[in-house]
Formats: sequence, structure tokens, C-alpha cells
Amino acid sequence: MLRSSLIKVLNGAKVSPKHVCVTFRAASDVAKKPEKIEVFIDDQPVLVDPGTTVLQAAAQVGVEIPRFCYHERLAVAGNCRMCLVEVEKSPKPVAACAMPVMKGWRIKTNSDMTKKAREGVMEFLLVNHPLDCPICDQGGECDLQDQSMAFGSDRSRFTDIQFSGKRAVEDKDLGPLIKTVMTRCIHCTRCIRFASEVAGIDDLGTTGRGSDMQIGTYVEKFFMSELSGNVIDLCPVGALTSKPYSFTARPWEIRKIDSIDVFDAVGSNIVVSTRTNEVLRILPRVNEEINEEWLADKSRFAYDGLKRQRLITPMLRDNKNELTPVDWEAVLLTVCKVLQQAGPNVAAIAGGMADAETLVAVKDLLNRLGSELTCTEHVFPMDGSGTDLRSSYLLNNKISGAEEADAILLIGTNPRFEAPLLNSRLRKTYLHNEAQIAVIGPKVDLTYEYEHLGNNATAICNVLNDNCPFSSTLKNAKKPLIIVGADLLKRADGAAILSLVQSIAAQTCNKVEGWKVLNILHKVASQVAALDIGYTPGVSKIREAKPKALILIGADEGAINKEDLPEDCFIIYQGHHGDLGACMADAVLPGAAYTEKQATYVNTEGRAQQTLVAVSPPGLAKEDWKIIRALSEIVGHKLPYDNLNEIRDRLDEVAPHLTRYGEVEGANYFKQAAQLLQEDEEKTLDDSPIDLKIKELQDYFMTDSISRASPTMAKCVQAVLKQKESKY
Amino acid sequence: MAKFFGLDKLAYLFRIMKENGGIRSSLYKLYRMDDLKMGTLMGIDKCGNKYFENNRYFFGRNRWVEYAPKYGTDYDASQVPSEWYGWLHYKTDLTPDKDPSRPIYKWMSEPTENMSGFSGAYIPYSTTKPKIEAWVPPKPS
Amino acid sequence: MSASTIRVGVKQVKPILSVDTEEAKKRVLNLYKAWHRQLPYIVKKYDIPKSVEQLRLKLREEFMKHKDVKDIRVIDMLVIKGQMELKETVNIWKQKGHIMTYFQDTVEHKPTDFLSQFLS
Repeated sequence: MLRSSLIKVLNGAKVSPKHVCVTFRAASDVAKKPEKIEVFIDDQPVLVDPGTTVLQAAAQVGVEIPRFCYHERLAVAGNCRMCLVEVEKSPKPVAACAMPVMKGWRIKTNSDMTKKAREGVMEFLLVNHPLDCPICDQGGECDLQDQSMAFGSDRSRFTDIQFSGKRAVEDKDLGPLIKTVMTRCIHCTRCIRFASEVAGIDDLGTTGRGSDMQIGTYVEKFFMSELSGNVIDLCPVGALTSKPYSFTARPWEIRKIDSIDVFDAVGSNIVVSTRTNEVLRILPRVNEEINEEWLADKSRFAYDGLKRQRLITPMLRDNKNELTPVDWEAVLLTVCKVLQQAGPNVAAIAGGMADAETLVAVKDLLNRLGSELTCTEHVFPMDGSGTDLRSSYLLNNKISGAEEADAILLIGTNPRFEAPLLNSRLRKTYLHNEAQIAVIGPKVDLTYEYEHLGNNATAICNVLNDNCPFSSTLKNAKKPLIIVGADLLKRADGAAILSLVQSIAAQTCNKVEGWKVLNILHKVASQVAALDIGYTPGVSKIREAKPKALILIGADEGAINKEDLPEDCFIIYQGHHGDLGACMADAVLPGAAYTEKQATYVNTEGRAQQTLVAVSPPGLAKEDWKIIRALSEIVGHKLPYDNLNEIRDRLDEVAPHLTRYGEVEGANYFKQAAQLLQEDEEKTLDDSPIDLKIKELQDYFMTDSISRASPTMAKCVQAVLKQKESKY
Repeated sequence: MAKFFGLDKLAYLFRIMKENGGIRSSLYKLYRMDDLKMGTLMGIDKCGNKYFENNRYFFGRNRWVEYAPKYGTDYDASQVPSEWYGWLHYKTDLTPDKDPSRPIYKWMSEPTENMSGFSGAYIPYSTTKPKIEAWVPPKPS
Repeated sequence: MSASTIRVGVKQVKPILSVDTEEAKKRVLNLYKAWHRQLPYIVKKYDIPKSVEQLRLKLREEFMKHKDVKDIRVIDMLVIKGQMELKETVNIWKQKGHIMTYFQDTVEHKPTDFLSQFLS
């Protein structure tokens, strides 16, 4: 078809010029691509690229070859031998995961030889595997269990138990998150490969050979990584299981609800496992655009914080200055009286876990009361266009876009702990794309090598003015990437820094269409949605305005305290955990945590996603936006939405992308944003060193009200500190 | 003659009323205890309850307790201390002060009255750990 | 094409009982009267804590529930069901509770507006 139209063009047939152009490009594309190879999987022909392994070719026609050691996202090891298949005219069975296909191969995935090979491999694996499935946490979701049912022999020849017995291995202590039963290990080495490739920690390895082989850390050492929980999912048997989840439930008893993680701004996709109205564990859900199939430890293990320190009944401060439980009517009437007396002197601060529905309800209520003081806890410079142009506060190039970059500049951010899954992408880029990475900010361990350009604003100027070697690398790069931490822009000279960064981005721009150089990395899940809805970042305006009533929507970071507010200011805290905010409040409205409500969150790329209800809110707690809606009716400014659909319509009215779930709404106007920022009055740069809140692993675990309430996270911090003292 | 007209009953009533301290206090006792009796005071316990006996009444009604005035109308059988219980229920004819052979051990505790319906009432509670631990607000310092 | 649709629309259906609206109306009125005559006996026989007046109101209410029904066949069906009810009532095939279910005195209706839903 293509060729025929080409001939037509060459022969001078009348074709529109546009068509010609398209035809030519298509033709040249075809020429570039190497020819495909035809192979036969169980006599089904399939065309694959050269270099494809047998296993991948089989997957293309929907034939799944059993495997233990092979994993799509890890290097090929080829040591479990479970994927042996027969190839016609080959004397031996072939390991499908490691063998690239050759032209015309006829692969038999279900022949007698293949079956016999699998049975043999399975027999050898089970020789040294304990028969403790009934007490094993992996039971029911175990690859070895499933595959021995499907491919194993139906009778045992194992009699050695009378003589030398089964292999037994001492358990390792890998820290408070991972429970090890090393006797169950089948040496697939997935955990080792994950640790060294994705997590960037070469702590795990093997010692010994043959049946003396052991997986371990050589010396007694915890497996301290922010991604350590993923080895639990990777382990095909029950050797590595989750310590907090151990002996809790079986997979078939559990209800699984798809949801979104809110512990960082990445918005990882998760599955919440529940039973009897209790969150039992959290697992990652595959989303290639965001978290692939990994999940950060805080998101995975902080769920036990959802069961502690909860606000389960409304509270009011009584005349003894103590918070006492009351019922909803009492608290709503009191708050209503306060709001009516305060009139337009009302303000609201949104914390890091507020959902878009609540944010828009609070803003609507405050606007109806005549106030414009809706702020977020986290600061963002408002000079120039401020937050009017979305491009100035988004991770514009998307999380998956980071994989293609060839030069990356990180300014004032520690992605390893602020967004661990973005950092794993950066590491991937570093490994496979040979990207050059430079950092301006404190020297931290990012799990990959980088060039440290300095720790102050001057270093940014140097990059701009070609005063350092990296600036040429950045400017000559095909796909440069600049990631700025939101923490950096908190500083007084945040606007000046942003302006500088925008100038650098402008110098490097426009080499690849659709490539966006400037990226802002936020730290909390609510920030982008709040800015999209029109919240003012930072609380300085509230400090100036001296409001009579202040509504805290889960604001626990201590952005404002009682001393900043007038004496008679009535503080209303709405949230799910008793923390800083609830301590200073005069009225407490118990809300729902992210597992307890259907709510919208926008991640740092600008991708709207929704959580679903996994468990019901505890006690008298209610969904957050409903509290605001009920309050509005009592105050006398009834908000016009009664159910989720109606408030979603309102969200749609404010910003349509907030209800387009799963899609990134791209932003643009970089030039205009930079111009507007530069047109603003002269900004002075402060040359003090850039500081980060989270520098090391122990700072990572407890950053918000849920993780601060979590005993597991507290144990993690203890473990990291203990590890620090150890001599290894 | 007087017996024929029942005047001795009337005289007995007056005697009871006199014994109980006049018309006012008799009426009060009648109101408080729905009963007006006359008898010999057998003793007073440490709570101030008075124990009477009058064998003119039939067995079962010949021993009674007049609860201490501090209880008002909120008196209750559990306010009788254990040493008087036996005498009141005809387990023994000896009042505690006349019965030296009663053993006293150090593990014996003071009797407590039934607090049901009052602030000290026993309220059953669950001993299972709640699934969700509530936040307890810190006391203001 | 369009002609056939119209034909389908005005298709003659087989009547259940009544041929036209007039006849259906007659049947409804007859049923109403029959019920009405029985009400005093129902009160007496079933020994229900309701007066004849209250039963009359209830009867009217039950008939008025279907006042907007125009389809003759549906009316006929309702009349037949009404007759069945009447027969069951008059012959004491029902019990006291069955009669009392017409008066849903103890049913607490769930709140419908947002605020009472929120507070309940």
C-alpha cells in the first residue's frame, strides 16, 4: 500500500503535497526499522523484533510461560530454569527468559519435553522448600504454590527427609518492614536485582554455592531503602513477607479496593486490602505512567497510622479549656454562631491531604461569607503570574517523561525522599539512558552519581551564565530536564530563584516538540488541586488579615500557630488525625482519611485521580466535603450540591481537568510566565545555603499526620538510627 | 368495756406515736417507710441504722431496720452491714454485740452498698481492643 | 415504514374486562362502593383501633393513588386485584395485622434532605 502510493508520486500522479510528505516520512520510517523475525509459538506464527526473548514472543500471542526469576522490570538472570521450553531441532530445552529468538524457530511451550523439564525443575525446587504453606503468609498468592499445582508432578519421590533432611537457612533481620523466612527462598535473586537496579542499594547478595547458597546482606544489616517494601511483592515465595501484615489475613478473605496514595505528590496507584472494615495492607497497582508497579515504603506501610490517633467524634473546647466530645448538632451550631459573628473575617488553611471536593466546598463557603482567605500550608511564590499559569507549578514533563531525559538538573530537591518513585525513574534514566545529573542543594545520597554544583543561589546563576561545565551539558542536551523542589521556593527569594530557573529553561528549550524543561516537584498530594482551584499558597495573608475564625482542613504542619492569630480567633480543625492542628483547635470536626472517602487528588504532574471508599469513616466521622456542606446550610449560605455527582459538577465548573480522571492536563505558556515574573520588580537573591527538610532516610518516614501516628513508621525511624550506630 | 369499743387499739396507736416521737415524726416515718411500728432498740450499726425487735408482731415482721436519716428515702437493703444481716434474717438470734465468737479475718472487706442508678454504678465495658484508637486531647497546662 | 409504526401504535389490544373507559369507570365505582359498604363490618370484625371515618379516608387514599392510570387494561387489572383484596378481607382470610398494614403508623420515614441525612 505505502509502496504503491510512492510509485504513484514518483510517476507524477496527481497527489496533494501533504499526502506526499506523509508518504515519504512513513517510507523512511520503515527503512529505519530492522526487519521483524517470524517465529512459531505452538505453531502460531508471530512477528517479533530481533533480540526479543522466547518468553516475550510467547507473551505476544498470549502464551504465558511459567517463571520465577524473570521479571519485566529487572535484568534477566535465567537461574530458576522454570521457563524451559522445547525448541524444535534443539537437543536441549531452552531457558525462554534469556534466549533471544532466531528466525523460523518453532517453540513448543506445551510439549512432553517442556512438561518434563518443568516437572523436573519443580521437583528440584521443592526438594529444599519447606511444606509450611499452611503457616506461610504467601499462601494463596504464592507463585511456587500455584505453579507446583499447575506444572509440578502429582506424586513425590522425595525420601531424603529420612537421611539428610531439607536445607535450612537462618532467617535474616532486614528491618521492621520485611520478615524473612530464608528456608523458603528459591534463589530467584529478584530481590537482589531489585535492590541493586531499582533501589540503588547494593546491600543484598548471595553467598555460597549450590545448596549452601544464601541470600543475605553478608553482614548483619537492615535493608534500608525507601523502596524496600517492593521486594515483598517481588518475592515469588514466602521468603520475604510483610512484617506488619504477617499472620493477619489470607488473600481470599480480603476485599480489594483500587485507590490513590496521598503520602507524596506522585499519586501512586494502590490497592487497599480490607476485611471487616479494617485496612489490612496496601499494595501497588500497575500504572506505567506513574508508579510502574512499585510503591514507596511510607505509602505501603503507614496504613496502621489510620487506626491510631483518630478523631472519631466532634469536639468543642469547654469552659475548662479542654476539648470535650459533643455531638454533630452542638458543634455545627457553635461553629455556625462563630462564623456568623465573624462575618467576612474568616480564613481557611488547606493541609497536605485535603481532597479537591473539600477544597472547592470550603472555598465556595468562604466566598459566600465574603472572604477570599483560602490558603494552602505550603508556600509558592506569587510574584509575576503566580499560580495563574499552571505551567509554573506543575511537573510539566510528567513522571514517565523523566525516563527519556539526557541531562537532569535537580534544584533544591531530594527526590529520593520527596517522591521516591520519581527518583526510581531518574535512576533508571541514569542507568539506561546515561543521563548526566547535577544537583544544586545539599549533598544527599540519591542512589545515583551526580555532579554537585553548589548549595546556594549563586550556583543557579552559574548555570545560567555558563560559569560551570554542566551548563553547556544542559544546554546542548537533546532532552534536558530541570526539577525544582517546592521547598526551595518557600524561601523569601523563591520568586527570584524561580525566575532564574525559568531563564535557564528558556535557554535550553524547544529541541524536541512537546518536551518541557521546567518541572516543579511538590511534596504534598493536595497542593496542585488547591492551586488549580484558586487557593493562595502560603499563610502570610492570614497572618496579616487577623481573622476572627480560622478553618484548618487537615493543616498539621504548624504553618500558623496561636501566637500569629488574634486572641479571640476561633480555630476550627477538620481532619482525621489528632495532631498539631487539633491541639490548637477550639472545635474539631472529624473527617475521613483517604481510604474512607471517594475523593479527587491531583498529583504533581496535574493528573486528577480519585480514591475510592475502602472502609467507612470511624465513629461519628463524616466525609469532609459533606461536613462543609452541612455547615453551610446551618450558617445560611447553602452550597448547591447534595451528593458526590453534584459536587463533581461543581469541580468541573471550576476546572474541567479535575474530573478527567487518569489524564494529565498539560500546561503551557512557559515564556509568558517567565516574562511576567521578570517584569515584576527587581528581586534580590539571598545567598544563604539551600536547606531541605528531608535529607536522610530517618526524616522520610514520619512527615504527615497519618505517618506520625503509625507505629510501623516509628519503628522504621528507630531502625535507621540503630543502623547508623552499627559498624557496617 | 374499753376493749369492746376498741379503745385499747386507739391507746396503742397513741403509744406508738409517742414512742416514735410525736405526730409530725410519726407522719414522716409513715411517709418514709409506709409503716409505723414500736419495738425495743436492739442496736445501732456504724452507718447509723437502727435495729428493732418486737415479738408482738408475727415472725418475719418482728425484726426490722430503720435506716439512718442520712439515706432519706433512698434506702436499700444493701445498706445493712453484714454483721447485722444474720440477725435481721433470723440466721441468728444474737445481735453482733452479743456474739463474741464471730470470726474476723483481715481479708474481710467493708461491705459496699448497691450503687445502681447512682454515679457510682457499675457500667459494663468491653475488654476487646477497639479497632480504631481515638485521639485523646492533651490536657491544657 | 411510518404507516406501520402508526399501525403498531393504535393496535387493538384484547381487553381484559372493560371495552371502553366508561365501563372501566363503572367497575372502579362499583368496587369503591363495595368496599365502602363493608367498612363498618371490617372495623367490627377485625377489632382494629380505627374508626369507620379513618377507614373511609384510607379507602379514598388507596383509590386516589391510581387516579392517573389511563390504560383500561391496567385499570381492569387493579380492579381485579382490589376485588381479591376485598374478598380476602370480608371472608376474614386476613388477620388484624394485614388490615393495619394499610396504616403505616409506626414506619419512620428516612430523612431525604441533606442536613437531616448528615445528622442522622
